[in-house]
Amino acid sequence: MSVYLDHHAASPVEPEVLAAMDAARPRAWANPSSAHAAGRAARRVVEEAREALARAIGGLPADVVFTSGGTEACNLGVLGLARGAGGRVVTTALEHPAVAEAVRALGLEVVRVDAPGGVAPADLPLEGAALACVQWVNHETGSVLPVEAWARRCRELGVPLFVDACQALGKLPVDVGALGASVVALASSKIGGPPGAGALWIARGTEVTPRALGGGQERGRRAGSPDPVALAGFGAAAGRVEARLAAMPAVAVRRDRLEAALAEHGPVAGAGGPRVATVTNVAVRGWSGARLVAALDVEGVMTSHGAACSSGVDAPSAVLRAMYPEEPWRADSAVRLSLGPATTDADVEVAIAALEAVLGRQRTSSGF
Amino acid sequence: MTRRERVLVAMSGGVDSSVAAALLAEQGYELVGVTLHLWDASGGHSVGRCCAPEDREDARRTCDHLGIPHYVLDERAAFRERVVTPFVEAYRAGTTPSPCVACNQEVKLGRLLDIARDLGATRVATGHYARIEVDASNEIRLLRGVDSEKDQSYFLYGVPTEILARCLFPLGGLEKHETRAHGRRLGVPNWDKKDSQELCFVPDGDVGGFIERETGVRASGEVVDERGEVLATHEGVYRFTVGQRRGLGLGGGAPPRFVLRVLPDAGRVVVGGPDALAQRHARAHAVVWTGPAPSAPFDAEVQIRYRHRAAPALVTPTPEGFAVAFHQAQRAIAPGQAAVVYRGDRVIGGGVLSA
Repeated sequence: MSVYLDHHAASPVEPEVLAAMDAARPRAWANPSSAHAAGRAARRVVEEAREALARAIGGLPADVVFTSGGTEACNLGVLGLARGAGGRVVTTALEHPAVAEAVRALGLEVVRVDAPGGVAPADLPLEGAALACVQWVNHETGSVLPVEAWARRCRELGVPLFVDACQALGKLPVDVGALGASVVALASSKIGGPPGAGALWIARGTEVTPRALGGGQERGRRAGSPDPVALAGFGAAAGRVEARLAAMPAVAVRRDRLEAALAEHGPVAGAGGPRVATVTNVAVRGWSGARLVAALDVEGVMTSHGAACSSGVDAPSAVLRAMYPEEPWRADSAVRLSLGPATTDADVEVAIAALEAVLGRQRTSSGF
Repeated sequence: MTRRERVLVAMSGGVDSSVAAALLAEQGYELVGVTLHLWDASGGHSVGRCCAPEDREDARRTCDHLGIPHYVLDERAAFRERVVTPFVEAYRAGTTPSPCVACNQEVKLGRLLDIARDLGATRVATGHYARIEVDASNEIRLLRGVDSEKDQSYFLYGVPTEILARCLFPLGGLEKHETRAHGRRLGVPNWDKKDSQELCFVPDGDVGGFIERETGVRASGEVVDERGEVLATHEGVYRFTVGQRRGLGLGGGAPPRFVLRVLPDAGRVVVGGPDALAQRHARAHAVVWTGPAPSAPFDAEVQIRYRHRAAPALVTPTPEGFAVAFHQAQRAIAPGQAAVVYRGDRVIGGGVLSA
């Protein structure tokens, strides 16, 4: 029996999502920009997805720009908002690489706000800043950052604000209208949609310089034909965001059960601050995170350490290093278990049994 | 259903480990593929770059083909500390280290066994060409691989027997061409991949350049003859190995001369004719015996570098290790290299040749 506890990397597509993609596949093969009937059919799939996502985030369809995923949405948001060559960028030390690397690429002065223990200050040094780039929910620990307060301050000061809401959508209520950020990045695979789809919501009147150049798709803000099938899935998943939110209290109970079993083995990251319900991130002394993930995978329990990395080379978690600078070992030894609405009590029990068996190997190793 | 034995198979991305894994899969083991990331590849060489991303991809491809999990685990810190740093220090001290011995002894097999425990595996399999046998008295024997060209027992003498007892070398009884034939038969994706070089972290073979990049120091000194007469200058004692003929800067025409000794403190490299290069006697330290340590002199064969045919000798245990008296003088006994003691195909022990 296998148990999937890596919802922060990608939350499995639900049957309704698969059905929407299957329905789109035969009728949305054409180029959505084409003027003919086949093109219109594809276009309709894309626009229905746009409407569904807009509803899910409290925005307007015309303000949603589809991208190839969360990373592209973050890149477009950060790089597209920056104006000119001068000024200071305010960001946090907890950002996902899709944001952190984009901020670095701006070549501007960067002020990185620390968030010890996952708790970020309510005040950011925003006076005179050219741009602020912050995440709402941390991908590794689930820490919730005070973006509403930051957004208010940015509005007062006229500082453009990029919010990475990839891990927030479906875990806490996201209302872009109420938030008041300039742009908000979203990802399909974090809400039970397929990979290969993301979006950037852009506030009316905010100018975002396109990154992908070519045709005038997405109202000139993102060139290239979108993937209607992936977007059909994204739209269907967006339609289920309410259901995901409704499941969060039950997810929290399961997470707490898992965390209680794990907490005997090491400290839980972000436990002292506000967190979403879907994740527990524990550092186990004597283990490297990569080794623990491998050992659990062999037993059928799928987890991760830090952000999934395609190169196959593990690096210590930059997020945990930033959260716990006094305890660098935690960045090497962390395992992230992330749950979704589909996670069952039985999954949790299987995972706990596997964890106990795996972690017991080092304690009873004298005869080896 | 009885549970199959879980074995960790070390996957370098090369043909040998791939075929070793395929053979064990065929035998019905539950396999877990692990690639140790030991060093960050650099340079433009496409073959033999240590731990190059394409090697990890090849390992992954083979594991996908076999339907087994594959993990890349980072052991760069251990590799640098236990293999690369001692390698650099040994060259700077005028000796010629055997980094593959250190890697197998200090990093590879020990780390893999440690990982195997954590992954719930009972044993570790690799693509080494060597054989492990348990004799009648339950003693572990390390034997040469059947393919005398590929035999790697020389690099394995230092592996403690309690580790060897948990190793599987599926290729030990095979010739290289048989390995490739098995690879082809079993559909191993990279069965015809070129063999990698011996020194994986110096793929261009420029040890001197590597040491200078690592240390940030460039040295120089003199090449002298046996009477101390200066014949040339050189760019660092770490560029020289006993027995070396090329790169001495002596020009053509002269009778062939070879490095006889490297004197790091004086920065001198002593050269001489072929006669002076042959020695009957050698000593070894940092010794590891595969079985019980011998207490009395015994006859054996001793191999003094990887590409050396083990030569008959009298081996005498000493307080620091052992002394070797070859029956016939051997060419270019280089301090720092491993001296491995064999009886026939069996490894008795080994150590590091003393200066």
